Amino acid sequence: MTRLRYFVRETLISLRRNLLMTLAGILTVAVSLFLFGGVMLLSRLVENGTDRWRHDVKLEIFMNVDASNGQIAAVEEELKGSPEVKDFEFLTKKDAYDEFKRIFPDDPALVSEVEPASLPTSFRVVPTQAEFTASIANRFTGRTGVDEVITAQEQVDRMLTATRWIRFTFWSLAAVLLASSLFLIVNTIRLATFARRREIEVMKLVGASNWFVRVPFMAEGLVQGAIGAGLAFGLVYGLRVILTDLVKNADNLFTHFYVTSSDAVGIGIIVLLIGAGIGMLGSAIGLRRFLEV
Amino acid sequence: MIRFENVSKIYKGSVTALNDVSVDIAKGEFVFLVGPSGSGKSTFLKLLLRDEMASSGRIVVAGRDIGRLGSWKVPQLRRNIGCVFQDYKLLPSKTVYENVAFALEVIGRPRHIINTQVPQILDLVGLTKKADNFTTELSGGEQQRVSIARAFVNRPLILLADEPTGNLDPGTTVGIMRLLDRINRYGTTVVMATHDQRIVDAMRRRVLELDRGQLVRDQARGVYGVGA
Repeated sequence: MTRLRYFVRETLISLRRNLLMTLAGILTVAVSLFLFGGVMLLSRLVENGTDRWRHDVKLEIFMNVDASNGQIAAVEEELKGSPEVKDFEFLTKKDAYDEFKRIFPDDPALVSEVEPASLPTSFRVVPTQAEFTASIANRFTGRTGVDEVITAQEQVDRMLTATRWIRFTFWSLAAVLLASSLFLIVNTIRLATFARRREIEVMKLVGASNWFVRVPFMAEGLVQGAIGAGLAFGLVYGLRVILTDLVKNADNLFTHFYVTSSDAVGIGIIVLLIGAGIGMLGSAIGLRRFLEV
Repeated sequence: MIRFENVSKIYKGSVTALNDVSVDIAKGEFVFLVGPSGSGKSTFLKLLLRDEMASSGRIVVAGRDIGRLGSWKVPQLRRNIGCVFQDYKLLPSKTVYENVAFALEVIGRPRHIINTQVPQILDLVGLTKKADNFTTELSGGEQQRVSIARAFVNRPLILLADEPTGNLDPGTTVGIMRLLDRINRYGTTVVMATHDQRIVDAMRRRVLELDRGQLVRDQARGVYGVGA
Protein backbone atom coordinates (compact mmCIF):
# COMPACT_ATOMS: atom_id res chain seq x y z
CA MET A 1 0.00 0.00 0.00
CA THR A 2 2.81 2.36 0.95
CA ARG A 3 4.58 1.39 -2.25
CA LEU A 4 1.59 1.84 -4.48
CA ARG A 5 0.93 5.28 -3.05
CA TYR A 6 4.58 6.13 -3.45
CA PHE A 7 4.65 5.04 -7.11
CA VAL A 8 1.46 6.89 -8.03
CA ARG A 9 2.65 10.06 -6.32
CA GLU A 10 6.10 10.00 -7.86
CA THR A 11 4.77 9.24 -11.35
CA LEU A 12 2.30 12.11 -11.23
CA ILE A 13 4.90 14.55 -9.94
CA SER A 14 7.26 13.61 -12.71
CA LEU A 15 4.61 13.83 -15.42
CA ARG A 16 3.67 17.29 -14.23
CA ARG A 17 7.24 18.46 -13.99
CA ASN A 18 7.91 17.67 -17.65
CA LEU A 19 4.48 18.66 -18.86
CA LEU A 20 5.51 19.95 -22.27
CA MET A 21 7.70 16.98 -23.13
CA THR A 22 5.03 14.66 -21.82
CA LEU A 23 2.40 16.26 -24.04
CA ALA A 24 4.70 16.08 -27.06
CA GLY A 25 5.24 12.39 -26.39
CA ILE A 26 1.53 11.74 -25.97
CA LEU A 27 0.62 13.62 -29.14
CA THR A 28 3.14 11.89 -31.37
CA VAL A 29 2.06 8.53 -30.03
CA ALA A 30 -1.55 9.53 -30.72
CA VAL A 31 -0.93 10.75 -34.26
CA SER A 32 1.26 7.84 -35.28
CA LEU A 33 -1.11 5.28 -33.83
CA PHE A 34 -4.08 7.06 -35.40
CA LEU A 35 -2.42 6.71 -38.80
CA PHE A 36 -1.57 3.14 -37.99
CA GLY A 37 -5.12 2.35 -36.85
CA GLY A 38 -6.59 4.26 -39.78
CA VAL A 39 -4.61 2.17 -42.24
CA MET A 40 -5.71 -1.00 -40.52
CA LEU A 41 -9.30 0.19 -40.65
CA LEU A 42 -9.00 1.04 -44.33
CA SER A 43 -7.48 -2.36 -44.96
CA ARG A 44 -10.35 -4.04 -43.22
CA LEU A 45 -12.79 -1.96 -45.21
CA VAL A 46 -11.23 -2.87 -48.53
CA GLU A 47 -10.78 -6.47 -47.47
CA ASN A 48 -14.42 -6.76 -46.44
CA GLY A 49 -15.61 -4.95 -49.55
CA THR A 50 -13.58 -7.01 -51.96
CA ASP A 51 -13.96 -10.30 -50.16
CA ARG A 52 -15.92 -11.90 -52.98
CA TRP A 53 -13.38 -10.77 -55.57
CA ARG A 54 -10.47 -12.48 -54.00
CA HIS A 55 -8.69 -15.46 -55.56
CA ASP A 56 -9.31 -13.94 -59.02
CA VAL A 57 -13.06 -14.29 -58.84
CA LYS A 58 -14.23 -11.89 -61.53
CA LEU A 59 -17.97 -12.40 -61.58
CA GLU A 60 -20.78 -13.75 -59.50
CA ILE A 61 -23.97 -15.24 -60.96
CA PHE A 62 -26.96 -14.80 -58.63
CA MET A 63 -29.83 -17.25 -59.11
CA ASN A 64 -33.43 -16.30 -58.41
CA VAL A 65 -34.39 -16.92 -54.81
CA ASP A 66 -36.91 -19.51 -56.02
CA ALA A 67 -34.73 -20.98 -58.76
CA SER A 68 -35.34 -24.70 -59.12
CA ASN A 69 -32.64 -27.28 -58.61
CA GLY A 70 -32.85 -28.04 -62.31
CA GLN A 71 -32.11 -24.45 -63.25
CA ILE A 72 -29.17 -24.38 -60.85
CA ALA A 73 -27.86 -27.66 -62.21
CA ALA A 74 -28.13 -26.33 -65.77
CA VAL A 75 -25.97 -23.32 -64.95
CA GLU A 76 -23.50 -25.50 -63.13
CA GLU A 77 -23.28 -27.89 -66.12
CA GLU A 78 -22.65 -25.04 -68.49
CA LEU A 79 -19.94 -23.54 -66.28
CA LYS A 80 -18.27 -26.94 -66.08
CA GLY A 81 -18.32 -27.34 -69.83
CA SER A 82 -17.12 -23.85 -70.61
CA PRO A 83 -13.44 -23.59 -71.62
CA GLU A 84 -13.36 -19.91 -70.57
CA VAL A 85 -14.06 -20.87 -66.97
CA LYS A 86 -11.06 -21.86 -64.97
CA ASP A 87 -12.84 -22.48 -61.71
CA PHE A 88 -16.10 -21.72 -59.92
CA GLU A 89 -17.63 -22.07 -56.51
CA PHE A 90 -21.28 -22.65 -55.63
CA LEU A 91 -22.65 -20.76 -52.62
CA THR A 92 -25.70 -22.32 -51.00
CA LYS A 93 -28.42 -20.34 -49.24
CA LYS A 94 -26.70 -21.17 -45.98
CA ASP A 95 -23.36 -19.81 -47.26
CA ALA A 96 -25.14 -16.63 -48.31
CA TYR A 97 -26.77 -16.36 -44.89
CA ASP A 98 -23.45 -16.83 -43.09
CA GLU A 99 -21.93 -14.09 -45.18
CA PHE A 100 -24.88 -11.85 -44.51
CA LYS A 101 -24.40 -12.33 -40.81
CA ARG A 102 -20.75 -11.52 -41.17
CA ILE A 103 -21.50 -8.26 -42.97
CA PHE A 104 -24.09 -7.01 -40.49
CA PRO A 105 -23.00 -8.08 -37.03
CA ASP A 106 -23.90 -4.60 -35.75
CA ASP A 107 -27.47 -4.94 -36.93
CA PRO A 108 -29.01 -7.97 -35.21
CA ALA A 109 -32.51 -6.67 -36.01
CA LEU A 110 -31.75 -6.84 -39.70
CA VAL A 111 -30.19 -10.27 -39.42
CA SER A 112 -33.16 -11.62 -37.49
CA GLU A 113 -35.50 -10.48 -40.29
CA VAL A 114 -33.60 -12.46 -42.87
CA GLU A 115 -33.80 -16.20 -43.21
CA PRO A 116 -31.52 -18.43 -45.24
CA ALA A 117 -34.47 -19.32 -47.47
CA SER A 118 -34.97 -15.71 -48.51
CA LEU A 119 -31.44 -15.39 -49.89
CA PRO A 120 -30.35 -16.40 -53.39
CA THR A 121 -27.78 -19.06 -54.21
CA SER A 122 -24.89 -17.98 -56.41
CA PHE A 123 -21.82 -19.05 -58.39
CA ARG A 124 -18.47 -17.29 -57.99
CA VAL A 125 -16.56 -17.70 -61.22
CA VAL A 126 -12.87 -17.48 -62.03
CA PRO A 127 -12.32 -17.07 -65.77
CA THR A 128 -9.17 -18.45 -67.40
CA GLN A 129 -8.40 -14.88 -68.49
CA ALA A 130 -9.78 -11.61 -67.17
CA GLU A 131 -10.87 -10.58 -70.71
CA PHE A 132 -13.47 -13.36 -70.78
CA THR A 133 -15.34 -11.79 -67.88
CA ALA A 134 -17.75 -9.78 -70.01
CA SER A 135 -18.55 -12.60 -72.42
CA ILE A 136 -19.29 -15.03 -69.59
CA ALA A 137 -21.44 -12.41 -67.89
CA ASN A 138 -23.39 -11.77 -71.10
CA ARG A 139 -23.95 -15.47 -71.67
CA PHE A 140 -25.63 -15.99 -68.31
CA THR A 141 -27.51 -12.72 -68.01
CA GLY A 142 -31.22 -13.27 -68.60
CA ARG A 143 -30.91 -17.06 -68.43
CA THR A 144 -33.92 -18.74 -66.82
CA GLY A 145 -33.42 -18.94 -63.09
CA VAL A 146 -30.63 -16.34 -63.17
CA ASP A 147 -31.48 -13.13 -61.36
CA GLU A 148 -28.40 -11.04 -62.17
CA VAL A 149 -24.72 -11.29 -62.91
CA ILE A 150 -22.35 -8.87 -61.23
CA THR A 151 -18.75 -8.45 -62.26
CA ALA A 152 -15.67 -7.06 -60.59
CA GLN A 153 -15.58 -3.76 -62.30
CA GLU A 154 -12.36 -2.08 -63.15
CA GLN A 155 -12.96 0.24 -60.21
CA VAL A 156 -12.62 -2.63 -57.81
CA ASP A 157 -9.42 -3.78 -59.41
CA ARG A 158 -8.08 -0.27 -59.41
CA MET A 159 -9.09 0.23 -55.82
CA LEU A 160 -7.18 -2.83 -54.77
CA THR A 161 -4.04 -1.46 -56.40
CA ALA A 162 -4.58 2.04 -55.09
CA THR A 163 -5.17 0.96 -51.53
CA ARG A 164 -2.01 -1.10 -51.68
CA TRP A 165 -0.11 2.16 -52.26
CA ILE A 166 -2.07 4.08 -49.68
CA ARG A 167 -1.41 1.35 -47.20
CA PHE A 168 2.29 1.33 -47.93
CA THR A 169 2.56 5.12 -47.59
CA PHE A 170 0.59 5.23 -44.36
CA TRP A 171 2.43 2.30 -42.83
CA SER A 172 5.75 4.01 -43.53
CA LEU A 173 4.51 7.30 -42.15
CA ALA A 174 3.15 5.59 -39.07
CA ALA A 175 6.44 3.74 -38.57
CA VAL A 176 8.45 6.97 -38.79
CA LEU A 177 6.11 8.70 -36.34
CA LEU A 178 6.20 5.76 -33.97
CA ALA A 179 9.99 5.90 -33.99
CA SER A 180 9.92 9.62 -33.23
CA SER A 181 7.45 9.13 -30.42
CA LEU A 182 9.80 6.51 -29.03
CA PHE A 183 12.65 9.04 -29.09
CA LEU A 184 10.48 11.65 -27.43
CA ILE A 185 9.58 9.29 -24.62
CA VAL A 186 13.20 8.25 -24.18
CA ASN A 187 14.11 11.91 -23.94
CA THR A 188 11.34 12.69 -21.46
CA ILE A 189 12.49 9.86 -19.23
CA ARG A 190 16.10 11.03 -19.48
CA LEU A 191 15.06 14.51 -18.45
CA ALA A 192 13.01 13.09 -15.61
CA THR A 193 15.89 11.02 -14.30
CA PHE A 194 18.18 14.02 -14.60
CA ALA A 195 15.75 16.24 -12.71
CA ARG A 196 15.64 13.63 -9.99
CA ARG A 197 19.25 12.52 -9.92
CA ARG A 198 19.63 13.51 -6.26
CA GLU A 199 16.69 11.39 -5.22
CA ILE A 200 18.00 8.52 -7.29
CA GLU A 201 21.43 8.86 -5.71
CA VAL A 202 19.94 8.75 -2.22
CA MET A 203 17.68 5.84 -3.14
CA LYS A 204 20.62 3.79 -4.31
CA LEU A 205 22.61 4.79 -1.27
CA VAL A 206 20.03 3.57 1.21
CA GLY A 207 19.48 0.35 -0.70
CA ALA A 208 16.29 0.83 -2.71
CA SER A 209 16.02 -2.06 -5.10
CA ASN A 210 16.63 -1.34 -8.76
CA TRP A 211 13.04 -1.90 -9.75
CA PHE A 212 11.91 0.43 -7.00
CA VAL A 213 14.01 3.18 -8.54
CA ARG A 214 12.73 2.38 -12.01
CA VAL A 215 9.02 1.79 -11.53
CA PRO A 216 7.93 5.45 -11.36
CA PHE A 217 9.79 6.17 -14.59
CA MET A 218 8.45 3.06 -16.30
CA ALA A 219 4.98 4.09 -15.21
CA GLU A 220 5.61 7.54 -16.62
CA GLY A 221 6.45 6.13 -20.04
CA LEU A 222 3.58 3.70 -19.86
CA VAL A 223 1.11 6.48 -19.04
CA GLN A 224 2.32 8.55 -21.98
CA GLY A 225 2.06 5.63 -24.39
CA ALA A 226 -1.31 4.56 -23.09
CA ILE A 227 -2.88 8.03 -23.15
CA GLY A 228 -1.58 8.57 -26.67
CA ALA A 229 -2.97 5.22 -27.71
CA GLY A 230 -6.28 5.99 -26.01
CA LEU A 231 -6.58 9.18 -28.06
CA ALA A 232 -5.70 7.29 -31.21
CA PHE A 233 -8.31 4.65 -30.37
CA GLY A 234 -10.95 7.36 -29.98
CA LEU A 235 -9.98 8.86 -33.34
CA VAL A 236 -10.01 5.48 -35.08
CA TYR A 237 -13.41 4.72 -33.66
CA GLY A 238 -14.64 8.11 -34.85
CA LEU A 239 -13.19 7.41 -38.29
CA ARG A 240 -15.12 4.16 -38.39
CA VAL A 241 -18.38 5.99 -37.72
CA ILE A 242 -17.63 8.50 -40.47
CA LEU A 243 -16.64 5.78 -42.93
CA THR A 244 -19.74 3.75 -42.23
CA ASP A 245 -21.89 6.83 -42.76
CA LEU A 246 -20.17 7.68 -46.03
CA VAL A 247 -20.56 4.16 -47.30
CA LYS A 248 -24.24 4.01 -46.36
CA ASN A 249 -24.96 7.11 -48.42
CA ALA A 250 -22.86 6.08 -51.40
CA ASP A 251 -24.05 4.19 -54.46
CA ASN A 252 -24.51 0.46 -54.41
CA LEU A 253 -20.98 -0.39 -55.52
CA PHE A 254 -19.93 0.48 -52.00
CA THR A 255 -22.63 -1.30 -50.12
CA HIS A 256 -20.24 -4.17 -49.59
CA PHE A 257 -17.71 -1.89 -47.98
CA TYR A 258 -18.13 -1.82 -44.25
CA VAL A 259 -16.20 -2.01 -41.00
CA THR A 260 -17.87 -3.65 -38.06
CA SER A 261 -17.49 -2.25 -34.59
CA SER A 262 -15.68 -5.42 -33.59
CA ASP A 263 -13.14 -4.66 -36.34
CA ALA A 264 -12.69 -1.21 -34.82
CA VAL A 265 -12.40 -2.57 -31.28
CA GLY A 266 -9.90 -5.19 -32.40
CA ILE A 267 -7.79 -2.50 -34.05
CA GLY A 268 -8.21 -0.36 -30.95
CA ILE A 269 -6.80 -3.10 -28.74
CA ILE A 270 -3.81 -3.55 -31.02
CA VAL A 271 -3.29 0.23 -30.98
CA LEU A 272 -3.43 0.31 -27.16
CA LEU A 273 -0.96 -2.54 -26.83
CA ILE A 274 1.47 -0.90 -29.22
CA GLY A 275 1.12 2.42 -27.37
CA ALA A 276 1.80 0.83 -24.00
CA GLY A 277 4.68 -1.14 -25.50
CA ILE A 278 6.24 1.99 -27.00
CA GLY A 279 5.94 3.74 -23.64
CA MET A 280 7.61 0.91 -21.74
CA LEU A 281 10.32 0.50 -24.35
CA GLY A 282 11.01 4.24 -24.31
CA SER A 283 11.37 4.22 -20.52
CA ALA A 284 13.57 1.16 -20.58
CA ILE A 285 15.95 2.79 -23.06
CA GLY A 286 15.84 6.09 -21.17
CA LEU A 287 16.69 4.27 -17.95
CA ARG A 288 19.38 2.06 -19.40
CA ARG A 289 22.22 3.65 -17.53
CA PHE A 290 20.39 2.95 -14.28
CA LEU A 291 20.33 -0.74 -14.99
CA GLU A 292 23.83 -0.93 -13.58
CA VAL A 293 24.11 -0.21 -9.91
CA MET B 1 32.28 -7.62 10.30
CA ILE B 2 34.51 -6.18 7.58
CA ARG B 3 37.50 -7.98 6.11
CA PHE B 4 39.75 -6.83 3.28
CA GLU B 5 42.00 -9.58 1.91
CA ASN B 6 44.80 -8.29 -0.35
CA VAL B 7 42.47 -5.79 -1.95
CA SER B 8 43.72 -3.64 -4.79
CA LYS B 9 41.81 -1.15 -6.85
CA ILE B 10 43.18 0.16 -10.10
CA TYR B 11 41.10 2.75 -11.95
CA LYS B 12 41.05 2.64 -15.72
CA GLY B 13 44.07 0.40 -15.83
CA SER B 14 46.63 2.90 -14.59
CA VAL B 15 45.70 4.78 -11.40
CA THR B 16 46.30 2.63 -8.36
CA ALA B 17 43.93 3.78 -5.61
CA LEU B 18 44.42 0.87 -3.23
CA ASN B 19 47.37 -1.46 -3.24
CA ASP B 20 47.20 -4.86 -1.54
CA VAL B 21 45.28 -3.77 1.53
CA SER B 22 44.41 -6.37 4.16
CA VAL B 23 42.53 -5.43 7.29
CA ASP B 24 39.99 -6.86 9.70
CA ILE B 25 37.38 -4.75 11.46
CA ALA B 26 35.36 -6.42 14.19
CA LYS B 27 31.72 -5.83 14.97
CA GLY B 28 31.18 -2.77 17.13
CA GLU B 29 34.56 -1.18 16.41
CA PHE B 30 35.05 2.51 15.78
CA VAL B 31 37.73 3.01 13.15
CA PHE B 32 39.29 6.19 11.79
CA LEU B 33 40.58 6.11 8.26
CA VAL B 34 43.24 8.78 7.87
CA GLY B 35 45.68 9.88 5.23
CA PRO B 36 46.19 12.73 2.77
CA SER B 37 43.84 13.42 -0.14
CA GLY B 38 44.21 10.76 -2.81
CA SER B 39 45.51 8.19 -0.36
CA GLY B 40 42.59 5.87 -1.06
CA LYS B 41 40.17 6.62 1.81
CA SER B 42 37.18 7.28 -0.43
CA THR B 43 37.97 4.26 -2.56
CA PHE B 44 38.04 2.15 0.60
CA LEU B 45 34.50 3.30 1.44
CA LYS B 46 33.24 2.96 -2.14
CA LEU B 47 34.46 -0.61 -2.27
CA LEU B 48 32.54 -1.40 0.91
CA LEU B 49 29.35 -0.06 -0.66
CA ARG B 50 30.01 -1.92 -3.90
CA ASP B 51 29.93 1.47 -5.57
CA GLU B 52 33.20 0.25 -7.06
CA MET B 53 34.47 -3.28 -7.52
CA ALA B 54 37.89 -4.39 -6.28
CA SER B 55 40.36 -5.11 -9.07
CA SER B 56 41.76 -7.98 -7.05
CA GLY B 57 41.42 -9.46 -3.59
CA ARG B 58 38.35 -10.22 -1.54
CA ILE B 59 36.09 -8.00 0.56
CA VAL B 60 33.89 -9.74 3.08
CA VAL B 61 31.09 -7.81 4.80
CA ALA B 62 28.98 -9.55 7.43
CA GLY B 63 30.21 -12.92 6.24
CA ARG B 64 29.55 -12.35 2.54
CA ASP B 65 32.04 -11.89 -0.25
CA ILE B 66 30.58 -8.74 -1.75
CA GLY B 67 32.54 -9.11 -4.98
CA ARG B 68 30.38 -12.12 -5.73
CA LEU B 69 27.02 -10.51 -5.00
CA GLY B 70 24.69 -10.34 -7.95
CA SER B 71 23.80 -6.77 -8.80
CA TRP B 72 20.23 -7.38 -7.62
CA LYS B 73 21.60 -8.18 -4.16
CA VAL B 74 23.63 -4.99 -3.84
CA PRO B 75 20.64 -3.04 -2.47
CA GLN B 76 20.38 -5.62 0.30
CA LEU B 77 24.03 -5.00 1.19
CA ARG B 78 23.45 -1.26 1.27
CA ARG B 79 20.52 -1.59 3.62
CA ASN B 80 23.02 -2.88 6.14
CA ILE B 81 25.39 0.03 5.62
CA GLY B 82 24.45 3.57 6.55
CA CYS B 83 26.31 6.40 4.85
CA VAL B 84 27.15 9.94 5.85
CA PHE B 85 28.93 12.43 3.61
CA GLN B 86 30.66 15.75 3.89
CA ASP B 87 28.00 17.35 1.69
CA TYR B 88 25.05 15.65 3.51
CA LYS B 89 23.23 14.63 0.29
CA LEU B 90 19.87 15.73 1.62
CA LEU B 91 16.86 16.42 -0.60
CA PRO B 92 16.06 20.15 -0.52
CA SER B 93 12.49 19.66 -1.65
CA LYS B 94 11.67 17.61 1.44
CA THR B 95 11.40 18.44 5.11
CA VAL B 96 13.64 16.95 7.79
CA TYR B 97 11.02 14.35 8.59
CA GLU B 98 10.46 13.50 4.93
CA ASN B 99 14.17 13.17 4.25
CA VAL B 100 14.49 10.54 6.94
CA ALA B 101 11.20 8.84 6.07
CA PHE B 102 12.27 8.67 2.42
CA ALA B 103 15.07 6.25 3.30
CA LEU B 104 12.53 3.85 4.78
CA GLU B 105 9.90 4.45 2.12
CA VAL B 106 12.14 3.49 -0.76
CA ILE B 107 13.16 0.21 0.80
CA GLY B 108 9.48 -0.61 1.13
CA ARG B 109 8.98 -0.29 4.87
CA PRO B 110 5.31 -0.13 5.86
CA ARG B 111 3.83 3.14 6.98
CA HIS B 112 3.35 2.24 10.64
CA ILE B 113 7.05 1.38 11.00
CA ILE B 114 8.02 4.67 9.37
CA ASN B 115 5.68 6.53 11.70
CA THR B 116 7.32 5.09 14.80
CA GLN B 117 10.97 4.95 13.73
CA VAL B 118 11.38 8.41 12.26
CA PRO B 119 10.33 10.30 15.43
CA GLN B 120 12.57 8.01 17.50
CA ILE B 121 15.62 8.71 15.40
CA LEU B 122 14.89 12.44 15.22
CA ASP B 123 14.77 12.40 19.00
CA LEU B 124 18.13 10.60 19.09
CA VAL B 125 19.80 13.25 16.91
CA GLY B 126 18.00 16.06 18.74
CA LEU B 127 15.95 17.42 15.86
CA THR B 128 12.41 16.67 16.97
CA LYS B 129 11.56 20.37 16.97
CA LYS B 130 12.85 20.84 13.43
CA ALA B 131 11.00 17.89 11.93
CA ASP B 132 8.85 20.07 9.69
CA ASN B 133 11.59 22.45 8.57
CA PHE B 134 13.11 22.18 5.15
CA THR B 135 16.73 21.15 5.25
CA THR B 136 17.78 24.40 3.59
CA GLU B 137 16.63 26.22 6.72
CA LEU B 138 19.05 24.31 8.92
CA SER B 139 22.64 24.97 9.96
CA GLY B 140 25.43 22.73 8.68
CA GLY B 141 25.58 20.79 11.92
CA GLU B 142 21.84 20.25 11.91
CA GLN B 143 21.92 19.09 8.29
CA GLN B 144 24.61 16.58 9.16
CA ARG B 145 22.42 15.33 12.00
CA VAL B 146 19.58 14.79 9.54
CA SER B 147 21.95 12.89 7.31
CA ILE B 148 23.08 10.74 10.24
CA ALA B 149 19.46 10.14 11.20
CA ARG B 150 18.75 8.99 7.65
CA ALA B 151 21.77 6.70 7.64
CA PHE B 152 20.88 5.17 10.99
CA VAL B 153 17.09 5.02 10.89
CA ASN B 154 17.20 1.54 9.39
CA ARG B 155 19.57 0.37 12.17
CA PRO B 156 22.38 -0.73 9.85
CA LEU B 157 25.22 -2.97 11.03
CA ILE B 158 27.78 -0.55 9.69
CA LEU B 159 27.95 3.22 9.44
CA LEU B 160 30.36 4.76 6.96
CA ALA B 161 31.22 8.42 7.31
CA ASP B 162 33.26 10.24 4.67
CA GLU B 163 34.63 13.46 6.17
CA PRO B 164 31.38 14.06 8.05
CA THR B 165 32.81 17.08 9.88
CA GLY B 166 34.67 18.52 6.90
CA ASN B 167 32.30 21.46 6.55
CA LEU B 168 31.66 22.09 10.25
CA ASP B 169 33.20 24.36 12.85
CA PRO B 170 34.96 22.78 15.86
CA GLY B 171 32.05 23.31 18.26
CA THR B 172 29.56 21.64 15.95
CA THR B 173 32.06 18.89 15.20
CA VAL B 174 32.11 17.83 18.84
CA GLY B 175 28.35 17.39 18.79
CA ILE B 176 28.49 15.25 15.64
CA MET B 177 31.28 13.09 17.10
CA ARG B 178 29.27 12.54 20.29
CA LEU B 179 26.40 11.39 18.12
CA LEU B 180 28.57 8.97 16.14
CA ASP B 181 30.06 7.68 19.37
CA ARG B 182 26.59 7.08 20.73
CA ILE B 183 25.57 5.20 17.61
CA ASN B 184 28.75 3.14 17.96
CA ARG B 185 27.74 2.24 21.50
CA TYR B 186 24.50 0.75 20.16
CA GLY B 187 26.77 -1.87 18.57
CA THR B 188 27.07 -0.34 15.12
CA THR B 189 30.48 -0.61 13.48
CA VAL B 190 31.60 2.87 12.48
CA VAL B 191 34.23 3.60 9.84
CA MET B 192 35.05 7.27 9.49
CA ALA B 193 37.37 8.81 6.95
CA THR B 194 38.73 12.13 8.18
CA HIS B 195 41.38 14.81 7.95
CA ASP B 196 40.56 16.22 11.35
CA GLN B 197 43.56 15.62 13.56
CA ARG B 198 41.93 16.93 16.74
CA ILE B 199 39.04 14.48 16.58
CA VAL B 200 41.29 11.51 16.06
CA ASP B 201 43.64 12.52 18.82
CA ALA B 202 40.79 13.22 21.21
CA MET B 203 38.83 10.02 20.62
CA ARG B 204 41.72 7.57 20.78
CA ARG B 205 40.16 4.88 18.66
CA ARG B 206 41.67 2.48 16.17
CA VAL B 207 43.40 4.31 13.33
CA LEU B 208 44.07 2.98 9.83
CA GLU B 209 46.41 5.18 7.86
CA LEU B 210 46.55 5.01 4.11
CA ASP B 211 49.29 6.51 1.99
CA ARG B 212 49.19 6.30 -1.80
CA GLY B 213 46.94 3.28 -1.60
CA GLN B 214 49.00 1.37 0.95
CA LEU B 215 47.95 0.63 4.49
CA VAL B 216 50.93 2.09 6.36
CA ARG B 217 49.61 2.00 9.91
CA ASP B 218 47.03 0.07 11.91
CA GLN B 219 47.04 1.23 15.49
CA ALA B 220 44.60 0.54 18.29
CA ARG B 221 43.76 3.69 20.30
CA GLY B 222 45.87 5.68 17.86
CA VAL B 223 46.40 9.32 17.05
CA TYR B 224 46.34 11.19 13.74
CA GLY B 225 50.02 11.51 12.89
CA VAL B 226 52.82 9.07 13.61
CA GLY B 227 54.79 10.14 16.67
CA ALA B 228 52.36 12.92 17.51
